[in-house]
Amino acid sequence: MAKGGTQSRKYRLQGAGLDLALPYLMLAPGLLIVLGVLVYPLWDGLRASTEAYRYGSVVANVGMQNYIKLWSDPQFLNALWVTVKFVALSVTFEAILGFALALFCLREFRGIRLLRTILIIPMVITPVVVAIVFRLIYASDAGMLTAISEWMGGGQVQILGSPVKAFFGLVVLDVWEWTPLMFLILLAGLQSLPHEPFEAARVDGAGNWRVFADLTFPMMRPVLAIAIVLRTIDAFGTFDQVFVLTRGGPGEATRLVSIYGYDTAFKFQQTGYAAALFVTIGLVVLALAFSAVRLLRRVDAS
Amino acid sequence: MTQSSRSRLTRRSVLKGGLGLALATTALTAIGLPVPARAAGKKVIIGAFADGGLTPFKQKIIPLAKDAGFDIEFLEDEYGVTLEKWFADAKNSAGQYDLYLLDDPWVPQFGAANVLEDLGAAGIDGSDKDWIGSMIDMGYWPPQKGARVKGFETATPTLICVPFVGDLQTLTYRNDVYTSGAPKTWDEVIAKGKEGVAAGKIKYPVVFRGVSGNPIVTSWYPVFLSFGGSFFDDKWNPIFNSAEGKASADFFVGTMKQNAPSGVVEFDSDQEGAAILGGDAGAIIQYSGNALKADDPTQTKVAGKLDFGVVPKQTSAIAQMGIFIAGIPKSAPNKANSVEFLKWYVSADIQAKLSEAGSIPVKRSAFGIAKPGNRLIPVALQQLDAGALPRPRTPDWAKVEELLGIELNKALQAGSGGGAALDNAAKQVKDYLSSVGYY
Repeated sequence: MAKGGTQSRKYRLQGAGLDLALPYLMLAPGLLIVLGVLVYPLWDGLRASTEAYRYGSVVANVGMQNYIKLWSDPQFLNALWVTVKFVALSVTFEAILGFALALFCLREFRGIRLLRTILIIPMVITPVVVAIVFRLIYASDAGMLTAISEWMGGGQVQILGSPVKAFFGLVVLDVWEWTPLMFLILLAGLQSLPHEPFEAARVDGAGNWRVFADLTFPMMRPVLAIAIVLRTIDAFGTFDQVFVLTRGGPGEATRLVSIYGYDTAFKFQQTGYAAALFVTIGLVVLALAFSAVRLLRRVDAS
Repeated sequence: MTQSSRSRLTRRSVLKGGLGLALATTALTAIGLPVPARAAGKKVIIGAFADGGLTPFKQKIIPLAKDAGFDIEFLEDEYGVTLEKWFADAKNSAGQYDLYLLDDPWVPQFGAANVLEDLGAAGIDGSDKDWIGSMIDMGYWPPQKGARVKGFETATPTLICVPFVGDLQTLTYRNDVYTSGAPKTWDEVIAKGKEGVAAGKIKYPVVFRGVSGNPIVTSWYPVFLSFGGSFFDDKWNPIFNSAEGKASADFFVGTMKQNAPSGVVEFDSDQEGAAILGGDAGAIIQYSGNALKADDPTQTKVAGKLDFGVVPKQTSAIAQMGIFIAGIPKSAPNKANSVEFLKWYVSADIQAKLSEAGSIPVKRSAFGIAKPGNRLIPVALQQLDAGALPRPRTPDWAKVEELLGIELNKALQAGSGGGAALDNAAKQVKDYLSSVGYY
């Protein structure tokens, strides 16, 4: 009797569409969390980007004015240009070095596991710590480079006081820290390549360069593209290292958009303008990623 | 039951596992929650930026406050992040602090945002004649004197902050280089400093901060004031690029750079402190943070060789004031305790103790005690009497300082073009202030 009652209740609920609703009900908590932590902040950022703030409060809705103003703001344009140069140089060097290291570490020899472990250490160190270490290397008064130079009979080494050297100093820091990520991704890619084409090429008498140019590189292109896209997106958001090392100086030589946006939002309290800046940068990065993915598909298809 | 059926993933096992995980997480979270401590007194959470000028307060006054029944929690942060952190705390009513020890140029920002308590209404007497006038003036928003920004022209000045540690710039110099006392003029600083370099006593006549933004503007400001410059007119038009201002900037990026360490463009307070305390520099204009270390052989290589004086002059000897100033956020969790603490702290007795501890007090009576804890204190009073000015009282000072600092830093890199840098900065400042409705 009791069993029959439960059965009929189950059928009634099924009839009411519980089975249909159940998957959605089970998804609801996760969906709510995504809405709360991802969609809401994005929407709020977009909303803020259309508002003017004074003294930490909204004073007017200005529509697209903040976006339009960006393109006549010399400080933003300079920061964007510095960022583009920084990303292009850093990611290029990281890709070349990372690929070279991955090719070298593909071989098996005594101590290779230890070497691979050592090579990924920089990327697991906190960026702020890396920046402090590089500040101690670059400082003209008591830095390591100056100490070495003076020991060799030279003078002080000026890195952070010169716009060009400070910029390249920042690139070197980034390359040191993030080449290991490239190396790791590319090594994984190389290890997953099939052996047969390489063996066939060797049998046919192909040399190292021919094998690299005709087999390794073409086969690695999709992995390389993914690694470059990931690093490019990440490099656009570089903040900690610059904040600690140069704060954007000397002058504006190392002021990336992340630093300018941070100052604009928090130091100068132009929240709406900063939101427009970050939305714009987000769109630029999104466009880059989208183009890279399309490129990747085209490469795959060919 | 077979082995495979026992280890099969079922809905029940997932639910049981999930429940177990949730319970474990809750239990761990509960363990990690701060246990409310038995109140050791009247709780006051003080937020401060790390600065040597607060060392006497931390070492000598906090223990006294504990004896007086206050339970002080002192939270320190790096200077560069405190403004935004505290502003967000106040604006969002987060209630993480009872008292902010602000840098005085931040008062207008907090005042305009209306996030600080009215301390006058809370019973703190801003008209007490014992206050150093120029210091208590900085606690009012809008300011009692001088130009006011738009929107606050007719508002009644309210005491939202009270001076906490009375810092201002003074000259620190090597008494074995400047043997006839503090150099009176900039020309004397350079000329005698060069003699000191030639005699092998020092490496550079002067040292200062060259980093873009606040550091370089802070170092240039007393030079600018001593050359007779003014920053804004009464309508907020930038006039710092006057003939006097340009002369000061040219002197700063030219003569001063040539007589400073070669890496001065990247120097901030830590490097300039190392240069003077390490015995390399002959003279420096600085706030009290490093000056307080001048007699401590564990912190300086030239203990006994550093003396203090008023800043050198070109036309006048005016320094920049940069006091620590205390405000209570409206969201403070222990507001009544904070007001009580401030009343206790600014009393003549405690200010005298602060002076004994070696810090520059904010009440005039405390300058007159028999044994001030530091030789700098009477010199600070001399400087106050000779002339000391705060930075312009505008909520947009941070942006103005940034624009000016970038241009000055570029000129310092070049070693020339100070006047042109001021022209560029003045245009940018004017454009910016126009864009936010100043005119």
